[in-house]
Amino acid sequence: MIIDILEHSLRERSPLIPVEALLNACEGSRMPDVNAALLTPDIVRRVTEVCPTPALTAREEAGGLELRLSYGDCIGCGRCIEVGQGAVVRARTFPWIGVAKAQLVRRWDVNRKVEIASLTSSPEDGRKEIYAMLGRALNIRQLDPGSCNGCEAEITALTNPYYDLERFGIHFVASPKHADMLLATGPVTRNMAEAVKATYDAMPAPKLVVAVGACGCSGGIFAGSYAIVGGVDTMIPVDGYIPGCPPTPSMLVTGILEVLKRCVGKRR
Amino acid sequence: MTNGITNEDRDLQPGSAAPDFSVPRARSGAPARLVSLFGSLNLNGEVVVRYVFDVGDPEYHIIEGTANGPLPSITPFVPAAAWYERELCDQYGVNLTGHPDLRPLLLHDNWPSGIHPMLALPENIPWASRGYRFLEVQGQGVCEVPVGPVHAGIIEPGHFRFSVVGDTVLNLELRHFYTHKGTEKLFEGKLADSAAMIAESISGDNCFAHAVAYCEAVEKACGVRVPARAAAIRLIGLELERLVAHIGDVGFLGNDVGFVVAHTLASSIKECLLQASARAFGTRFLRGVACPGGVRVNLGPGEIEELTRVVSESISKFTELARITLETPSVQSRFDSSGVLKKAVARDLAVVGPVARASGIDLDVRRDHPYGHYRGLHFDVPLTHYGDVLARARIRIAEAVESARLIVETLITLPAGGVAEPVPALGHSQGYAAVESPRGELFYWVEIEDGRLKRCHVKSPSFQNWPAIPFAVADNIIADFPLINKSFNLSYSGSDR
Repeated sequence: MIIDILEHSLRERSPLIPVEALLNACEGSRMPDVNAALLTPDIVRRVTEVCPTPALTAREEAGGLELRLSYGDCIGCGRCIEVGQGAVVRARTFPWIGVAKAQLVRRWDVNRKVEIASLTSSPEDGRKEIYAMLGRALNIRQLDPGSCNGCEAEITALTNPYYDLERFGIHFVASPKHADMLLATGPVTRNMAEAVKATYDAMPAPKLVVAVGACGCSGGIFAGSYAIVGGVDTMIPVDGYIPGCPPTPSMLVTGILEVLKRCVGKRR
Repeated sequence: MTNGITNEDRDLQPGSAAPDFSVPRARSGAPARLVSLFGSLNLNGEVVVRYVFDVGDPEYHIIEGTANGPLPSITPFVPAAAWYERELCDQYGVNLTGHPDLRPLLLHDNWPSGIHPMLALPENIPWASRGYRFLEVQGQGVCEVPVGPVHAGIIEPGHFRFSVVGDTVLNLELRHFYTHKGTEKLFEGKLADSAAMIAESISGDNCFAHAVAYCEAVEKACGVRVPARAAAIRLIGLELERLVAHIGDVGFLGNDVGFVVAHTLASSIKECLLQASARAFGTRFLRGVACPGGVRVNLGPGEIEELTRVVSESISKFTELARITLETPSVQSRFDSSGVLKKAVARDLAVVGPVARASGIDLDVRRDHPYGHYRGLHFDVPLTHYGDVLARARIRIAEAVESARLIVETLITLPAGGVAEPVPALGHSQGYAAVESPRGELFYWVEIEDGRLKRCHVKSPSFQNWPAIPFAVADNIIADFPLINKSFNLSYSGSDR
């Protein structure tokens, strides 16, 4: 028993993934990226037609054609990749995490085949900021306002020996009264609306809120259902967004650290 | 059951008329098991109610009736129908008579009366406050302990109301459906070809079982045969999902009794499998893999080899971990005889999955109602009759071993050929399918018109098993509730939809 466990621990190597390998990694997330050089009006028409949410949309203006990709709405179904003839591909890295809502949207000028104002971010691991702000202790309260439990499954994985969120001084706590950050997954259902508000109000200031997953960002696939109020920001103020359906543990780590980096010193 | 409580909201017709059908009998002569009960609208806008029973044949037995006027409840003699009939009232406003408890189920206090989402919905639904009456346990020294909807930990929301004397639970009342997202309504009008992504979002940790059950129902309705290779890949996915779920569950059970090392090691094994899944299928939880007509991902020789290796390594690590866990005296003393679900209760409530098999009910959709690649396949269905936490842990361990064997065998003998067939989008048709998900029998029923869904009903195993938890918890100490609840490991979102 205890001897077996000791023997096991001595035999096994630590599977911890170094933070440099986690930041911006997105394997297994199915998030799309656009290869601007291959964009044509025909491909834009096809990919916007098959998109089940408002993630991919096109806008015609003064003779120009603009493709918009809103990661907050994307559920990663991959239909755009199937019909995109190489112009839409699976993302290899994914820095659009933990950012403000406006930065979840990318735009391309289809005729000139270029991206309009892309995100310029070089995420570092953000440990300095956490130490500076919180003295090496960030307490997170996870809240499920109506999620399908896909995001919960990935958040649970953050505590396993591969990701070990505790190495950054980040802990999950049982009560909103002990929390600095609320990690809210899923669309806010009408049945949970009151509890979401009460949980937010129970947190002491300063407090951070991160909306997780396509549903948390925008309502995702459930947007428009009679039983849904909307994304997390329809109920409470949100400081950063982590898209994905569900976001992978590496995306969650990147997002949590990015929100901390951005929000250092901003107190509410 | 919570007898005699009715909600003032609902105009109930007193008295109960005898229902106009008799409950079918199984081959053994016992009453048949209720699989599902749901409504839909026919062309005249009338509510059609379908009662689905398992009589022991490979096909299910479906009884149809139109609800014109009052409909007699079958709950008094089929207790498993209780939540289904409450849902039917909420969704369609069917006037049920003789039901012992017709409080709203899906729609909470802030919904006004008279809203029935599957019928026409008003543009803006006003916020209301109509109150909800919990069952009151009276007597000297009885205390109420309300827990939730927001729980401690990374977990879904739901409300549990314990009535306790000292440490001992006299009664537990559940109030769920906090994550009700109107998913069945969301299916309506969607292209049958692309709605698997909605099915996947019903319960994220067994999304592949949901996707496959949905696809099989559509394929049955449209008369499509899935290519052999696609059927085999679906089997690999379903068993991989079961393997991941059971390994995680055994770890969490250890965690709940302070044996944290089991949780840490199990979560490592689970992560290893999820990463292998990401490399082989491009997705950690097999989202977007199944589609009506087949699958969207093919496995190459490299992927087959790697998946075989990772699954074989994982199961040998897990078997060792399971042995260590069950041999630890402190674990044994907490698992043994905690949260016993008696066979008679499990049968009355038509409980499914590992929970049923731990209480002596021999039931497995893969064997009893074979589908896809399971047809003609031989595998063990573990069974035990103790019905406690230990029994449920043992069932999961045995099933994980069998799942790993099935995955490896199927990977080695993967049939050649294509992985998808086109699905015709013509005419009006209906179909159903059942899949053994990690939590048990998952049943889908679809009605399709010219390629678009008219109705999609989802019976998840969690919806069926939740009402059994209060029976397993009664007479235990309240501190054992998290452990007992975890040993059932039900999905809130899967039940609430």
